[in-house]
Amino acid sequence: MSVPFTLRSGGPGSWALRLAAGAVLVYLMFWIPTQASNGVIDTCITALTLMAAAMALNLLLGYTGQISIGHSAFFGIGAYTTGILVSKYGWSPFQTLAVAFVVAFVVGALVSLPALRIKGVYLALVTLSLGLVFPQLIKAPKMEWLTGGARGLDKTGFKFTKKNPTYEIFGWNPWGNLRGENVKPFLYWIAMIIVIIVYVVCRGVVKSRAGRSLIAIRDNETAAAVMGVNLAVTKGLAFGLSAALCSLPGCLSAIRTGNVTPDSTNLTVLGAITFLIVMVVGGAGSLWGPIIGSALYVFVTDRTGDWSDKEAIPAVLRPFFGWSHTPPGSGIFAVVLIALMFVAPFGIVGMWHRVIGRFVKVVPRPAGTGTIDAPATAPAEA
Amino acid sequence: MSLLRAHGLTAGYGPVTVLNGIDLEVNEGEIVVILGANGAGKTTTMRAVSGTIPRSGAVEFDGHDISRTSPDAIVRHGVAQVPQGRGTFPELSVEDNLRAGAITRRDGAGAVAADLQRWFEQFPRLAERRSQRAGSLSGGEQQMLAIARALMSRPKLLLCDEPSLGLAPLITKELFEVIERLNREEGLSVLLVEQNANLAMHMASRVYLLETGRIVASGSAAELSADDTIRKAYLGF
Ligand SMILES: Nc1ncnc2c1ncn2[C@@H]1O[C@H](COP(=O)(O)OP(=O)(O)OP(=O)(O)O)[C@@H](O)[C@H]1O
Ligand SMILES: [Mg+2]
Repeated sequence: MSVPFTLRSGGPGSWALRLAAGAVLVYLMFWIPTQASNGVIDTCITALTLMAAAMALNLLLGYTGQISIGHSAFFGIGAYTTGILVSKYGWSPFQTLAVAFVVAFVVGALVSLPALRIKGVYLALVTLSLGLVFPQLIKAPKMEWLTGGARGLDKTGFKFTKKNPTYEIFGWNPWGNLRGENVKPFLYWIAMIIVIIVYVVCRGVVKSRAGRSLIAIRDNETAAAVMGVNLAVTKGLAFGLSAALCSLPGCLSAIRTGNVTPDSTNLTVLGAITFLIVMVVGGAGSLWGPIIGSALYVFVTDRTGDWSDKEAIPAVLRPFFGWSHTPPGSGIFAVVLIALMFVAPFGIVGMWHRVIGRFVKVVPRPAGTGTIDAPATAPAEA
Repeated sequence: MSLLRAHGLTAGYGPVTVLNGIDLEVNEGEIVVILGANGAGKTTTMRAVSGTIPRSGAVEFDGHDISRTSPDAIVRHGVAQVPQGRGTFPELSVEDNLRAGAITRRDGAGAVAADLQRWFEQFPRLAERRSQRAGSLSGGEQQMLAIARALMSRPKLLLCDEPSLGLAPLITKELFEVIERLNREEGLSVLLVEQNANLAMHMASRVYLLETGRIVASGSAAELSADDTIRKAYLGF
């Protein structure tokens, strides 16, 4: 099959493309908090939260092949660590991120213990029960002194007072007004930094020797073991790291809303399933998959948020969604998911690669030492 | 000097015992071949040595007791396995598969890259496809990849389970030549399972005949093929 364009990975063409894409992203990154309305910024924070959680899950499911339907629990560990430390012990929210990271890592590594023995559906059930148990544990009467029970905790975010300073860069203020008047851009930047941290960690892991071990486990566990991959340690680290990263957007949720309740969506199994779905729709086992899936999910649910009111639905779509009494966002997304399983089993990122492959031939850069020129002809088959 | 020595090695799957206490030895620099009918327990023997199935009995490698050692630690001691049916990592590229074989190595990226280069020269078909997904290789190419990958760990002992499976005769011959050369020039010891008795006996220092989980005969290739009953019953020539 001949394709019109050739692109050499690592060559000037590919760098130009990367730079262009990077420039667009950076432009957007600054445009949103400075120019967009508060409503848009808020939606973006929701998307960033979901991105971080889905990326964390992707490290485990997409790369290591270990399913988890309980990642909402790790999200919840983040939310409650921040919530408890800020509201009860007066910590600064930023300091709590490190504690949440460690706590979630330990819990995640412990959850990996059953994963050493069980696989597939059984592992799904074990992690599902973790997701189910978490809100119950929070609401348990014996825990109420710490977690606030079903009512949850409040005052878990930053205290914005009239005295807060404003930080300006040459008269330009991308952080918003921290005197309690407009804090959305500030929260946006916290979310953005968390997403960048999670992305950088995932990328670092995936592109390293450790990343090859993870994929090896996913592809063929026994073969990985006879290559010298220590299954117990590697799975434990993957679970721990995935859980720890997933706790960070949890912390963010506590900081953002200033309160934590055990029944908010991302802390329940529904949240865990959302992480799973957006990851699969975007493309499991790819770095950008969860990011794209999350953005799309939040876009769809945001656009359809008021569709329970018939009048709000665009006229062409009214016959399809007019019957719905609740916003049909998740329903639409479910249909997208099912359709994708047929046309693009590797998600949007996989589909993108396939479409691009029709037009552009990507020549990977030669690796190892030396170059391979004119490979010797293979011997004729007898 | 004996490199691998198993004594009373018993192994199986769950309640089923497949190996009934076999004794097995591979000396340094030897190519030892295990022959036996389908289901005799050859693959099970390999797995028991590499530690991927529960086993009991004594297993010693290079002076270490490895009877309770985990598979990855056994690799670090210097045992590499080419599992039957290849077991490559389909979603990793050919090159990354080879790099996965070097996971246990701690001698630096340069040495690994040099070995990579070496196996690409040895198997030019792999070099042509170095950035292709391993899952998209032909069966024979995957077999070559599995062997090259095992060698990437710089083993002292190579466990090779039917490497000729699915390979064209000429490629098989070439592959065995590579194994023999490694054995001759670098003293790589090999424990080889092979259905093609004729071919395997050719390069074997010693041969074990396995039947339903027991060793029924062992000796040099010449000794075994001199024995008419064995030749007729097991070797088929
Ligand atoms: N994963 C497994 N679970 C249960 N039983 C197994 C398993 N693998 C093999 N067996 C059984 O163990 C016995 C020996 O199998 P093994 O794979 O060791 O034979 P083999 O000598 O390698 O045969 P072949 O020449 O066909 O590869 C067989 O009876 C087989 O049914
Ligand atoms: Mg076998």
